Amino acid sequence: MTATVPVIRIEALTKVFGSVRALDGLDLLVQPGEVHGFLGPNGAGKSTTIRVLLGLMRATSGRVELFGGDPWHDAPHLHARLAYVAGDVALWPGLTGGQCLDVLGATHARVDEQRRADLIDRFDLDPTKRVRDYSKGNRQKVALIAALAADAELLVLDEPTSGLDPLMEAAFQQCVRERRDDGVTVLLSSHIMGEVEALADRVSIIRRGRTVITGTLADLRRHTRTTVHAVTVGDPVGLADSAGLADHQSERRGELFDSRFTIDADDLDAVIGTLHESGIHTLTVTPPSLDALFLQNFGDESDDDTVAEARGERLAASR
Amino acid sequence: MSTDAGTRPQQATHPSARPHGASGQPGGLATMLRIIGRVQRRSALVWVVVLAASMVGTAAGIAGLYDTPAKIHSYAAAVTAGNALAAINGKVEGIDSLGGVIQDEFGFMAAFLMPLLGISLVARATRREEESGRLELLLGGRIARHEPALAALIWASATILVTAVLFALGLAVYGVPVAGAVLYALSLGALAFVFAALAALMAQLTRHARGVYTGALVVLAASYVLRGVGDVTSSWVTWLSPLGWAEKTAPFGDQRWWALGIPLVVGALLAGVALRLASRRDLGSALVMGGAGPARASGWLRHPVGLAMRIHRPGTLGWLAGGALFMAMMGALARQLVDAMAGNPALATALGVGATRPLDGFVATSQLFLAIIATGYAVQAVGTLRAEEAQGRLETRLGGTLSRRHWLGAHTVVVIGGLLLIVVSSSLVLGLTAALSLGDGAEIGRSMDAGLAYLPAEALLAGLALALYGLRPRWFGLAWAGYAVVAFIAFLGPGLNLRPWVLDLAPTTHVGNPPVGAIPVMALAVMTAVTVVLVVVGFVAFHRRGIPQG
Repeated sequence: MTATVPVIRIEALTKVFGSVRALDGLDLLVQPGEVHGFLGPNGAGKSTTIRVLLGLMRATSGRVELFGGDPWHDAPHLHARLAYVAGDVALWPGLTGGQCLDVLGATHARVDEQRRADLIDRFDLDPTKRVRDYSKGNRQKVALIAALAADAELLVLDEPTSGLDPLMEAAFQQCVRERRDDGVTVLLSSHIMGEVEALADRVSIIRRGRTVITGTLADLRRHTRTTVHAVTVGDPVGLADSAGLADHQSERRGELFDSRFTIDADDLDAVIGTLHESGIHTLTVTPPSLDALFLQNFGDESDDDTVAEARGERLAASR
Repeated sequence: MSTDAGTRPQQATHPSARPHGASGQPGGLATMLRIIGRVQRRSALVWVVVLAASMVGTAAGIAGLYDTPAKIHSYAAAVTAGNALAAINGKVEGIDSLGGVIQDEFGFMAAFLMPLLGISLVARATRREEESGRLELLLGGRIARHEPALAALIWASATILVTAVLFALGLAVYGVPVAGAVLYALSLGALAFVFAALAALMAQLTRHARGVYTGALVVLAASYVLRGVGDVTSSWVTWLSPLGWAEKTAPFGDQRWWALGIPLVVGALLAGVALRLASRRDLGSALVMGGAGPARASGWLRHPVGLAMRIHRPGTLGWLAGGALFMAMMGALARQLVDAMAGNPALATALGVGATRPLDGFVATSQLFLAIIATGYAVQAVGTLRAEEAQGRLETRLGGTLSRRHWLGAHTVVVIGGLLLIVVSSSLVLGLTAALSLGDGAEIGRSMDAGLAYLPAEALLAGLALALYGLRPRWFGLAWAGYAVVAFIAFLGPGLNLRPWVLDLAPTTHVGNPPVGAIPVMALAVMTAVTVVLVVVGFVAFHRRGIPQG
């Protein structure tokens, strides 16, 4: 692994299906050793991007490099260095989970037998059960174990935790961290903020086939606003005029004054001072989350059905 | 048959429905009947039309062919001469009559189609719905646990009844005495009902729709064997088989109306047990749970060809069983058929066999049937690739180091191997059974040559299917359409006196009807060349297109 060659380099990628423009100038850069969160609402083009990246589909235009090579022409060769978990995990119903692991392993990079056994244990999978008798979550586990057990340089995971219960989700996150500590690069596609927040070093958010924003989590957080809910004893005079404050709502509740607003991270200190002068009764400060970032990025387009849908889904997933 | 039947008279439809289910609400059964009706309307209609048409077609054909008592008598004499026909079609009491001839001719088809009618109607509406999770959605509503099974049985019974009425009408129209026609139609309906109730019970015992079919078909095969053994040995064993109960009503002999009661009572008992289990067990559970399997894959299974063989195995075995059984039956009947044709040239014409060399004609006819079976296998096997892609397994498969060329190549090799296996085994079965029946081993080689001669024609359709799959999987239906045209031309073309250019559309026409005609080497070479071109088109297109496509 050389530090100079990015593991994934996608520039101005477009993909057109008939009259539908699935990808419209997408950029994605993933450096060796990082866990890269690939975020976007359903239908934004995440799976299509991954299929182009793996050489399953041909780009209409743009540049796609995987390990510095062309995936369309050199797919099997490049795939020797990665392991892939598809968005909809489909396995052979008549085979057992263990047989599927071996069949998948046969076309992956070398499988680490010790890790395979260890993962079966940690994910609590019964490898002697037939796939048709598995629940959706258990099928997902088979695909994840197959990918995590491979000695791959890159893991491409498309919505990997769908169908997993919270306990298994935690196990999955721990496993991904361990693989990252071993130097493995991870492309983690998801629409679940919490998952990406917990794992990713860097994040790219896409919408309607285009990269909206990309950067480290700290970078992105700087662009977001902190939400504050304060109940004070006195009226916080001049709060509304504070620098960097927005979405201000204030009302009197009996003896107390209830204020809600959002504030730029840099101006937080001054505002807390103002609140303190009015006598703080209770104070809730919610740090900027990717959720907020997501809503901020998509919130101004309420006329867009896809986005509205994604927001609803986001909210449901985050509560 | 109307889907509106269940809308208004809710309690009236089945007043006893409520006490069973804990969450049962008035109207639950009616809702369930409407849902099943909506889902099954088309398949039920297809079943009824196909069954009624084959029965009426058989009756019409036989009434035309055997239009004098003398001809019927010679048929009866030929059929009752050996035991082979009794084993296959059943022992028909009163065969020396028009109805008796029809019962004998329709016997083989009825023995499989009627039970299958009951099984498929119930399996589709019960375990398949539960397996897919749709039933969970409904039971979350106001449907009681036993009501889906009950509604499925009511629908199946109604469909069976309509079929039986059409049978009776069709038979009566062609001059079969009314009492006999009604009893015969009812006996077939009762046969279907027993298997519908059996399927409802199986749906409670096994976890997957596949298990329902497997279990019910095993019972059917056992019934067929018991009936065959009983008929050949003229013993009470026949009475152990649901197929025997239908036969023993003797509609065209010394009628036994009371024998109708056996399948009805047994069916009602099976249905009662099924409903009781349904109302007591948990959703998704079954008495027979899936067994464990090996925790590791063998080295062979890890290889692309090994996995491809595993994927094609069930389909290949099914078509192989069909081909071999058909050929075994034909071979076992060789002596009877040749004798019957010698005594009745009309029969030879009806079977599409020239009267001059009955033995070659018999082999040629059997091999043409096998060619249609083998072609069906090939098209279906290539269609499996489409399922692999549509269900998302291909994407996972190509996400590794396996190239598209190797994946498609492995499957192509396995499909060709399966085709060879089916043709060679079935031809061998025909040759051996015919040799036993006739006491002459020469048929083995002749049957094998004829079978192998059809390979290029069979491969041509497989090539067409592969090209369509490579170009655009969505077009794959055209391969089945092509297959339907070929089958139609092969079976009915000569009988319907179709124009030569129409007959020439089917590749099977160009094989030259061996061993009656000589095998045209040039035509076979041309078909092979076209097949190679089609396969290359399929590979190149598959290499260039996006994956997955639906």
